[in-house]
Amino acid sequence: MLDVKGLRKEFGDLVAVRDLYFQLHPGDVFGFIGPNGAGKTTTIKMLATLLEPTAGTATLNGIDIVRHPEEVRPLLGYMPDFFGLYEGITVTEYLEFFAAAYRIPKSQRATVIENVLELTDLTVKKDAYVETLSRGMQQRLCLAKSLIHDPILLLLDEPASGLDPRARIEIKELIRELGAMGKIVLVSSHILPELADFCNKIGIIEKGELLVWGAVDEIVRQLQANRVLEIKPLGDAEPLIQRLEREPLVHGVEPRNGSLYVHFAGGLEEQADLLSALIRDGFRIATFREESLDLEDVFMRITKGEVS
Amino acid sequence: MKAKSENPLLAYHLFVFTRNRWRRQPLLYGAAAFGIALSYFFLFMLIATYEASLVVPLTIALLAICFAAPLMAYNLFSLEYEKHTWESLALTRLTAREILWGKWGVVLTRVAGLTLLFLPMLLVSEADSISAYAVIAGLLLVFSWGALLVSFGMWLSFKLKRTLSTASALYAGQVLVLLLTPVLYTLFTNNQARDVMPIYLVQSHSEAVWWWIFSFLHLRFLVDLNPFTTLLELSYLRDIYAFAYYDPYSERALYPYGLLYLKWGFTQSAFYLLLAALFAGLTYRGLKIAWRK
Ligand SMILES: Nc1ncnc2c1ncn2[C@@H]1O[C@H](COP(=O)(O)OP(=O)(O)OP(=O)(O)O)[C@@H](O)[C@H]1O
Ligand SMILES: [Mg+2]
Repeated sequence: MLDVKGLRKEFGDLVAVRDLYFQLHPGDVFGFIGPNGAGKTTTIKMLATLLEPTAGTATLNGIDIVRHPEEVRPLLGYMPDFFGLYEGITVTEYLEFFAAAYRIPKSQRATVIENVLELTDLTVKKDAYVETLSRGMQQRLCLAKSLIHDPILLLLDEPASGLDPRARIEIKELIRELGAMGKIVLVSSHILPELADFCNKIGIIEKGELLVWGAVDEIVRQLQANRVLEIKPLGDAEPLIQRLEREPLVHGVEPRNGSLYVHFAGGLEEQADLLSALIRDGFRIATFREESLDLEDVFMRITKGEVS
Repeated sequence: MKAKSENPLLAYHLFVFTRNRWRRQPLLYGAAAFGIALSYFFLFMLIATYEASLVVPLTIALLAICFAAPLMAYNLFSLEYEKHTWESLALTRLTAREILWGKWGVVLTRVAGLTLLFLPMLLVSEADSISAYAVIAGLLLVFSWGALLVSFGMWLSFKLKRTLSTASALYAGQVLVLLLTPVLYTLFTNNQARDVMPIYLVQSHSEAVWWWIFSFLHLRFLVDLNPFTTLLELSYLRDIYAFAYYDPYSERALYPYGLLYLKWGFTQSAFYLLLAALFAGLTYRGLKIAWRK
């Protein structure tokens, strides 16, 4: 289990990461989402023990990452946002190097390498030179290397960036599979929908602050407690706006494209009551519907597009 | 835990990369090797034929080291930064000591190999009057200068994180230390220090110690610790018996004894090796801190 306890990083006056708290369990695939400069990479580097936090810590299976980095390192696999591979050697030689560097016994190396090659679909390229691989294959090779010592925590910093749609889908499949294998997977991205379909948990970070985190459906539900209704009146909208603003559950009305977008704090019951009341008051209503929220809206709603 | 474990860094740098390079571009590397072998043979024959002074092959060896050692070390760590591979390496179970030895050991081995390549040349130079002291001191000096270059280069490439800056600093630094400083020193002092305490006056161990202290205080070390001038002096060792026989108290007869008391060549080598160890130590400390090893 990964338990992040008040992780904080300051660069001079800038607070890049502000007191993060979250917990992840084996099998969790955690989507870590935020705009540029939000602090994703900084957080991941701290979890990877490559950057010392200013305050706070995290434990992986009870081991403190700040006090015992050398004990945590064998338990984690890390794929940086900018990664490189050694050139001038073949895929197999590359993996053999890391197998040796992770002290995997010689007798097991061939099997381990075969397994990660198969998992990352690189078996056909096992004798190719590393620099002759395509970007997507290199990404998979980097992932294969991160898996060679069978880590329990995987930190993937924007693994899908620079990949074509097909390669993106493949890497998503792979991440899903890793979650199913019982690993804790933390994947960062700028884009929520990219992560939504294979993460079971998400966290949204902006300006170093974790705005929300939790199970995906729970977060969507939370946000829908404050929903938006689209009401399209026939004729002049002004009286309807005045009428709506008197409603206690209405928090704001925005006229846009001939419709009114109403921020409404009630549930379905209250929503039905509102419609009846409006009709009773003689308003002629052409459209009355709840604006459905997809994950992108959730993201846009939570973040304000500010960067630190 | 304590068991002697393999060091994949060492093995890969020494064998795998080299083997693959040959495998992939046998013509290019074959041609380069052939060219080098040919020039070596030519020099070898020249030295053997003319029974050139010991200083000739030693100077060639030193020049080769001055040129090649920076090439061995300039990207040791900077490439890990530039290619974004250092994080993956830092996260493995390799210890800071193993990473240091993996890289340092490789370049030291190469410097030693390159130095030893010149041993046959040394042995055919001035064939009958050869001094074992001069051969050993000369080779050690060449190796130590190379060791200093690669260690400094390793540390610089760790600190600067840039391949190009490291390479330029190494070559520019050599021009400064080997050429400019001795020239400027000689220009400004008119080499007076040589007359104040000449080498032939050093005829005991304690005088030798004082001589070195004097050399440091008088900035004469800018010349005395220069590997090229050091090599030049080694040629005087050859005369040790010849002149001592005719005129045991002449300057020319005492000069070689002065060099022997000064442990000429060995003292300079020790100094270079000490500096080399210092830079390796600094790199080790850097790994401990920056890579949190
Ligand atoms: N070494 C550093 N020194 C100073 N400031 C830094 C350093 N590293 C990161 N920062 C700052 O910390 C903030 C967070 O950066 P970080 O790289 O973690 O963002 P990110 O969420 O990964 O962004 P992106 O999506 O662009 O990768 C930024 O404002 C950045 O400028
Ligand atoms: Mg980033």
